[in-house]
Amino acid sequence: MKDIITQIFEIENKIKPEDFATFKRNFQRIYHELEQEGFIVVNPKDQPYDERDASIEANILNENGSNLKITKVLKPTIYKNEGGNRILIQKAVVIVE
Amino acid sequence: MENINFGIDLGTTNSGIGKFQAGKVNIYKNPVGFRDTLPSVIAYRNARILVGDKARELTAVQPENVFSSFKRKMGSEHTFHVPATQENKTAIDFSALILKELINFVGDEKPTSAVITIPASFDTIQSNATKSAGYSAGLQEVLLLQEPIAACLAYANTQNISIDESKNWLVYDFGGGTFDVALVSINNRELKVIDHEGNNFLGGLDIDNLILEHLFCPILEKELGTENLWKQMVSAEKSAYSKLFFELLYRAEEAKKELSIKESVFVELELDLASKFIEFEITRQQFNELIHPKVDETVKLTKRLLEKNSISNKQVERIILVGGTTYIPYVKEYLHQEFESTVDSSIDPTTAIIVGASYYAGTKNKQNLSTEKAEIKEDLPTKLQDVKLVYEVNSQDNDELLTGFVPNEFSGYYRVTRTDGGFDTGLISFHSKFNEFLKLVPKTSNFFNVKIFDKHQILVFEKENLSINHGIYNISGQPLPNDICLEVDDTLGTTYLERVFRKNDILPLSRKLYKTISKTILKDSGEKLIINIVEGKAETSPASNLCIGYLEINSEDLSANLLKGTDIEIDFDISESRDLTVNIYIGAINLEISQVFNASAKQVSIAKVRLELEKSLTNIDHEIEEFSNNNQEEIADRLNDVRIEIIELLKALIDIEDDLVTDKIYNIDERKRKAFQVYDDLVRRKNVIAEIEEYQAYKMEIKEELLLKPNPKIEHVFNNIIKNEAQFLNSNQTSLIKSKTKELQKISQEIYFQNDESYVSLFYQYSYKDLDEYSNESIAKKHISNGERAIKDAKYTELKAIISALYHLLKVKPKDYFEDKNGTLGLK
Repeated sequence: MKDIITQIFEIENKIKPEDFATFKRNFQRIYHELEQEGFIVVNPKDQPYDERDASIEANILNENGSNLKITKVLKPTIYKNEGGNRILIQKAVVIVE
Repeated sequence: MENINFGIDLGTTNSGIGKFQAGKVNIYKNPVGFRDTLPSVIAYRNARILVGDKARELTAVQPENVFSSFKRKMGSEHTFHVPATQENKTAIDFSALILKELINFVGDEKPTSAVITIPASFDTIQSNATKSAGYSAGLQEVLLLQEPIAACLAYANTQNISIDESKNWLVYDFGGGTFDVALVSINNRELKVIDHEGNNFLGGLDIDNLILEHLFCPILEKELGTENLWKQMVSAEKSAYSKLFFELLYRAEEAKKELSIKESVFVELELDLASKFIEFEITRQQFNELIHPKVDETVKLTKRLLEKNSISNKQVERIILVGGTTYIPYVKEYLHQEFESTVDSSIDPTTAIIVGASYYAGTKNKQNLSTEKAEIKEDLPTKLQDVKLVYEVNSQDNDELLTGFVPNEFSGYYRVTRTDGGFDTGLISFHSKFNEFLKLVPKTSNFFNVKIFDKHQILVFEKENLSINHGIYNISGQPLPNDICLEVDDTLGTTYLERVFRKNDILPLSRKLYKTISKTILKDSGEKLIINIVEGKAETSPASNLCIGYLEINSEDLSANLLKGTDIEIDFDISESRDLTVNIYIGAINLEISQVFNASAKQVSIAKVRLELEKSLTNIDHEIEEFSNNNQEEIADRLNDVRIEIIELLKALIDIEDDLVTDKIYNIDERKRKAFQVYDDLVRRKNVIAEIEEYQAYKMEIKEELLLKPNPKIEHVFNNIIKNEAQFLNSNQTSLIKSKTKELQKISQEIYFQNDESYVSLFYQYSYKDLDEYSNESIAKKHISNGERAIKDAKYTELKAIISALYHLLKVKPKDYFEDKNGTLGLK
């Protein structure tokens, strides 16, 4: 399932911002249905880099290391709710600069 | 005597821990990120000590504070300077941190003894250094085991290979960063490493780089109109392509994994610089040719090992594969071609060493090594008593502050992790008090584990499942006094309430519901779609609640026919001042309506009130009769009062038909709600119990049938129906329970018709019908006499065909009881 979610995420990111309005509801619906099935998908784009955030796998570009921010997300974070417990099933793969 | 049972692979690149239990090995997953292995990397950043994945990712930012591959320096006098803390550390110190982290993977029963693996190349000093690391990680007993031996044990045990004569095995370990090969002699008494070879700088990462350099770069150079892309990406000087390197490396690794399963892959890349996507294919053939030199290098090392020990290829009985890089099919193929031995890849090569170490640990008794223990171990630390943790239980911020107080001038470390594996502070030193902002996953409960360690990093305090709710409450807002519900159709022709917001939820609130249209509304047919939002109790009848938002979408307003089953999106927003905004969107006919309902203006539809009153009359008559029959006269009398009130209200409605001025309708609505509340109190609970009983009866019947005659298909459907049983049986909604019972009835019928004899009674239902109900009486007659003969001869296939023919002859087809009824509101 996480591979399917990643594909949906990739499709979403391929759409140009100016065309996105047409698809917005469809993506909202898809993520809503995924949530009903227990999958929570988080896109960490533009978040400041936090070395305590174990839900992301960061590739850090900026070597002086200050004001780091997630600039690109190759894979989203996915959690799964199982029997009342939420667990991380996929770390986001991100670029930080 | 108790066995050691715990096995640890303390690897150069990755480490892991397992336990031998009841004949099997259980690999513990990292509670942070849930992986089987932990990268053997330590980083120091912002006064934190990070171990594993998070440490590794800091390599590019602060290489001077990140330490990896320290295993190579084990047993040497080399010290590592940590600029962040101005301390000097040894490989033993770092290895101890890795071991402590691995011990953390284990739940309650922490190991006191463990088997730790070491490379075949380790000498006595290096081996003792590994033991020391184990002791300083808190272990009281450490047994060492050579990695190739562990691998052999893993394969021998999982495959139950019996060894009758002496054999030579090769353990080929091709990991992420290193390559090792060992020649092992194995017989029924012992396993021994004869010799080994290796290259500390050859692994899977080299292959990813090769893909990137030789397969990706030539294509990208054309697309980007540049040259020497690889050099530009990896050069120390920052270029426009430095960012591209990481993305490409990730794609290369994905392609490598996919090529292990498929013959060819399509790689898709987003080129930010050229603002486009490009796609190209890589075949396994290309990939194999590319990696051939690297694999050949490992084969040459292996051959040298055999030559050194005067062993021919034929004398190698088995090559066992360890390390993630051996997933690549070409590695296996090439080894098989070069050595003609059995190449064994039957168990997970990334965890083989852990498995082997754990098997070994499962055969070794725990010793009382009091002398050795005494030298290294201090007295067991006492647990901290008066730790005070201060935090907000509910938060709407993305971070929430946790403050910890420890009395008596305590100095040590703390660490906070989120139980879903997505947050980890790492180890942080503190004195008496610490502050940490905890990162929250939005709109849900977040559970954290807080651990405090003494200055030797031994656990002295643990608080599990500290809970912080995000966005669920906001202490500054007003709570909702009642449930807010949407009235929806069920499949039985009645309606019920679906809760949108719960009583005591804090304003403002917003939620999106996805529903479907429950009846076809043809354009200009005069039909309408009704959106009715009420305030009250979700588990009562819709008419007993206060309507706070009422909206009719008339067929005249539709641009096209609205078909049953069409999706409809409804957004609900309630502001702090209790204004309700409803946005409705039906994509199929491109209809979008937004309406604000003000809390002070009541919404009442005369037509709707009349419909509710009329519908209830039939039900109430039935209930009065039932209570009278059961000698519950008192309830019957009270219901009769309600009945009289309903009739009076209907009369009153006629009187105000043309009254657009007075507020009599509000008075009627108020009286109607009161009447329905009384009705609900008297009847609803009884009906819910009756529904539950009927549901349980069908459930038991089907269970018994499935036990007698198992049918996986039906069982699957059955399990799906009863899956959320607790939820709908406790909903107090007769509609919900009834619709589930109907689904069970459908299964029950399906089971019934599995039996050929069942068709006999169905046939008689058709044969007893009046002949004039069929469109052709003489043909029907003929079918009936053929049917009787088929029953006599027990020809059931023929009988089924006859029943089908009779059905098609019927002028009016019988209604399918299980078909969903059209809704009254139009919303389901």
